[in-house]
Amino acid sequence: MNLRKPLILTVVASALVGSLVMNSFSATAASVPGVSSTEIVLGMQLPQTGPASPGYNKIDDAARAYFDYVNSKGGVNGRSIKLVVKDDEYKAGRTITTARELINNDKIFAFFGSVGTQTHLSVVKDINRRGIPDLFVNSGYSGFYTDPKKYPNTFGGLGTYTVEAKILGKYLKEKYPDKKIGILWQSDDFGRNALAGLTASGLKFEARKTSASFVAGTQGSIGLGTQIGQMKANGVEIVIIAAVSSATAVAYATAAALAYKPTKWAVISVGADSTTFQTILGARGTAPATSAALLAGTISASHAPAAGDADDEYIKAFKKINDDFNKATGSGKVWDNNVFQGMNLAYLATAALLGAGKDLTRAKLVSYLKNNGSKLSSAAFSPLGYSNTTHEAFTGFWLGEYDASLVLKPIGGTRVVYTTDSANGPVTVSNYKRPAIAADALPRVG
Amino acid sequence: MNSFLTAFFAGTSQGAIYALVSLGLVLVWRGAGVVNFAQMGQAMFTTYIASQLIQNEYSYWSAFVIALISGALLGALVDLGIMRPLSSRKNSLLLNSQSMRTTIPVIASLGILGVLKALAGIFWAGEERGFPAPVPTTGLRLGNTDLAITGFDLFVIGVVFLTLVLTTIFFTRTGMGLAMRASALNPEVTRLSGIRVGSVRTLSWAISGTASSLAGLLVTPKTNLSPNTLDLLLIVGFTAAVVGGLTSLAGSVLGGFILGYVIAFVNVYSAPENVFLAILIFLLLALFLRPQGILGSKEVRRV
Amino acid sequence: MSKVKSHKVIGFRSTRLAIIFFLFILLLSMQFGPYNQFQLANISTLLIAVLSITLLTGASGQISLGQGAIMAVGGYSAALLVTRLEISMWLAFVLAIFISALFGLFLGLAAARLSGPYLAGTTLVMALAIPSIAIRFDSFFSGDIGFSVDYGYPPDWLTNLLGEISIEEWSLYVALPFAALSLFAVLNLSNTRSGRTWRAVRDNEVAASLAGINIARTKVIVFVCSSALAGLAGAIYGFRGLVAPSVYPTDLSLLLLTAAVIGGLRSIGGAIFGTFVIVFLPDVIEKITKFLELPETISIYLPALMIGLLLLITVILNPRGSAGALEHIRHRHKH
Repeated sequence: MNLRKPLILTVVASALVGSLVMNSFSATAASVPGVSSTEIVLGMQLPQTGPASPGYNKIDDAARAYFDYVNSKGGVNGRSIKLVVKDDEYKAGRTITTARELINNDKIFAFFGSVGTQTHLSVVKDINRRGIPDLFVNSGYSGFYTDPKKYPNTFGGLGTYTVEAKILGKYLKEKYPDKKIGILWQSDDFGRNALAGLTASGLKFEARKTSASFVAGTQGSIGLGTQIGQMKANGVEIVIIAAVSSATAVAYATAAALAYKPTKWAVISVGADSTTFQTILGARGTAPATSAALLAGTISASHAPAAGDADDEYIKAFKKINDDFNKATGSGKVWDNNVFQGMNLAYLATAALLGAGKDLTRAKLVSYLKNNGSKLSSAAFSPLGYSNTTHEAFTGFWLGEYDASLVLKPIGGTRVVYTTDSANGPVTVSNYKRPAIAADALPRVG
Repeated sequence: MNSFLTAFFAGTSQGAIYALVSLGLVLVWRGAGVVNFAQMGQAMFTTYIASQLIQNEYSYWSAFVIALISGALLGALVDLGIMRPLSSRKNSLLLNSQSMRTTIPVIASLGILGVLKALAGIFWAGEERGFPAPVPTTGLRLGNTDLAITGFDLFVIGVVFLTLVLTTIFFTRTGMGLAMRASALNPEVTRLSGIRVGSVRTLSWAISGTASSLAGLLVTPKTNLSPNTLDLLLIVGFTAAVVGGLTSLAGSVLGGFILGYVIAFVNVYSAPENVFLAILIFLLLALFLRPQGILGSKEVRRV
Repeated sequence: MSKVKSHKVIGFRSTRLAIIFFLFILLLSMQFGPYNQFQLANISTLLIAVLSITLLTGASGQISLGQGAIMAVGGYSAALLVTRLEISMWLAFVLAIFISALFGLFLGLAAARLSGPYLAGTTLVMALAIPSIAIRFDSFFSGDIGFSVDYGYPPDWLTNLLGEISIEEWSLYVALPFAALSLFAVLNLSNTRSGRTWRAVRDNEVAASLAGINIARTKVIVFVCSSALAGLAGAIYGFRGLVAPSVYPTDLSLLLLTAAVIGGLRSIGGAIFGTFVIVFLPDVIEKITKFLELPETISIYLPALMIGLLLLITVILNPRGSAGALEHIRHRHKH
């Protein structure tokens, strides 16, 4: 260590120069951050790179495509929507820094569509403390939404894992009372929440016999073969999977390799993206017909129409917008659940911004969602839960089975949407009717 | 079939992969005195090359061969471009110290790993993709019982043993191989005896690059391929190599299988959440109970 | 120069340098907007962790790829103390130093026998295994949900003194004093007799042991000191918002090592420089990519690419890092 005086002087001088340079980057604050007469700035944090990025890295481009479409139609109350995206690599330490960058440098009006439970946990308290709206978080962790006093500005963007698992669990328990039901789950908050919801619905799992976990993100490199083999050895007849889509594909392939054919597979919607499933198996050399046959008959749940449902009016409209406006290249633009989810949340955000009115403030947006959020609609068949007591998004799911063309079709032919809460409430049938999409594919409010 | 057999078969098939990774690490350690933390980065990169070729309608086997060749080239490139300039600086001030001489190449290999991962992301995007297996991945049957082992698993085990035999023959029967052993043990003496130490080193990097490329090609059919999927394998492979003694080829293969069983049995009889902890404990036990490795000889190494 | 005298001089010098660092960062922060103020807080926090590597690798030649795991030990200690025992954050930080030092003692006892790549690999496995403990015993460590902890609000006397303090400024005021104190401690350590002992062990173990130095004991002491620093850094780092496994990934350990290497493993000034580089690099790259209008498919991988390249370029061109390069230039000027 040899700091001499001239060096110290140089360092201090360079600090002064550096600070002057850096200062020129900070803009002056508007009266409402992120809102000008011509623009609304939203910020999104998601993993664009790193182990957790596959699939999710398509959400931002899809959402931006829809906003660009809205902007091409004149924007929201004359303001165009700008989406600023930060890559947090799914590392919570990085999320904290990029959140501050969005708040202080990009001067966002609101957070929108942040992806990931663990990453969002690191910033949710700070965002709420600053009074910034935190719209439509892409996480099914109920802890964000069920206590609005704790996080008054945070609103969900997915049905909670617990709600979905309760609905799926009740169905399986009633439909297959005599079968041995097991679960393969990834050991993180998602897997644990799903497990808790299934247990709440009365299903019982026994560790090392009917319940097997694997470390999230490791796929086959340190196991999965073992877990599937164990399920087979214990004669599990119905396998529930709570894992991301790429792991689901590996699980099916492993089971096929071990000649394990459970009576039924049931996959929690997070891991049931049929496009990912088929792409991964396809690249492994599995013919599309073979992979389709593997997935066919699998039970899954959804709050929205199946991404592959080409006849649905929302899907049709969104697909067209995706073709025309999505600037992502290659596979980033290919239509799947993630692209659909990104578009649908952007549709919902557009509706919320419209509803909050021309005189847009952060408080107005939050209070609009709290009081009128449940009246908003989207492509989902499920009602929205936003209210004074909960900020959960989609409180309902319908159950379906994949057909031979890998489209999720309602069980029994007619779609029944079940609804429940993230606590101990009963599962009931919802009578929500989804409004038709407008001809211009823009949301209507009021 | 009971849990024990499930774990046994899973351990065998996974262990074969770990053995290959471990073998690659030992090859470079013996040949160049470097533990190459970039190894699975190189494997990931060459597997992507194969995947790209298959997507462009090349046959599996031509892609396989090209991937192995690019593995060798990449290994040689790492040596010529980075490791050799580093070792030629051995007389510089920093590298004067004993401990830093082994530390700096480790840091360099971490840099290579980062660069390879970022480049793979740029070239092939971050999405996970599947990778085909050369032989059917359907399970084998013995009479009426399904064995928890596939034709592909047997293929992998066969390849691992073939690699072990070939490398052993190379090191014990060929002049070049003997030179490599000599240069690893004592570079100065070897140089004086007229052997070109530099090319011997580069060759061991190339052989190791091929072995790790092979590992990448053989593990991705069971997992998926993404810039990060092979990270864990390095850690497991390293542990296997240490268990085997870090200098012994046969020991490294044995270590790989042992790790396969350890992980499989922890998965079956304990919980997957314990796997990382089990690896750490196992590594520490191996280091303290038998620092020379299961097949290593006592004087070869000072930990 | 007698021993006593040299100690005095050193104590004075390190005090002066720590104060200069403190004032320098403070001066910078006054020129900055909130985001860059927060980045300065990040620099202060991570500097402590980088110093723990400089101490370990630079002074003893031992390499650790697991500093992130030791940071997790510090972070969890502080978070558990604050949430379970409801003690003050400041006391928790101090206790976290001791708990991490104790952890470092065990680690040192285990690692004293290892060197070079063995130690690197073992600490890498540790970086992976330690955070998984939180998931394994999730009722105690609350799994991957972790603990939501933060710096809270600045005390009244400070707001009375300085006026309104933003969250970003408060982060800096929490981290900076610890950074200056750590700098002071490391400067003192590396210049005292024990510092010289460590370097003797680093340069030649055989010679050092012939000179009567207890190698194993020396290595353990280095680990204890280094872990204490890393644990403190981990506690401050965690209280930015969350203490959870995802806050202390393996990559964090590698990033810290990168900072130490870029700056120069043996130089404390280099550690400061390296920390500046890793913290501000993503921002600089973002500005460049925006300016060049690079497509997103490339730009998102540039930070990782640059970190890797910097690491490589440093070890190839000048393994002693930027500090070494600077010295080299200064050396030439004299002649």
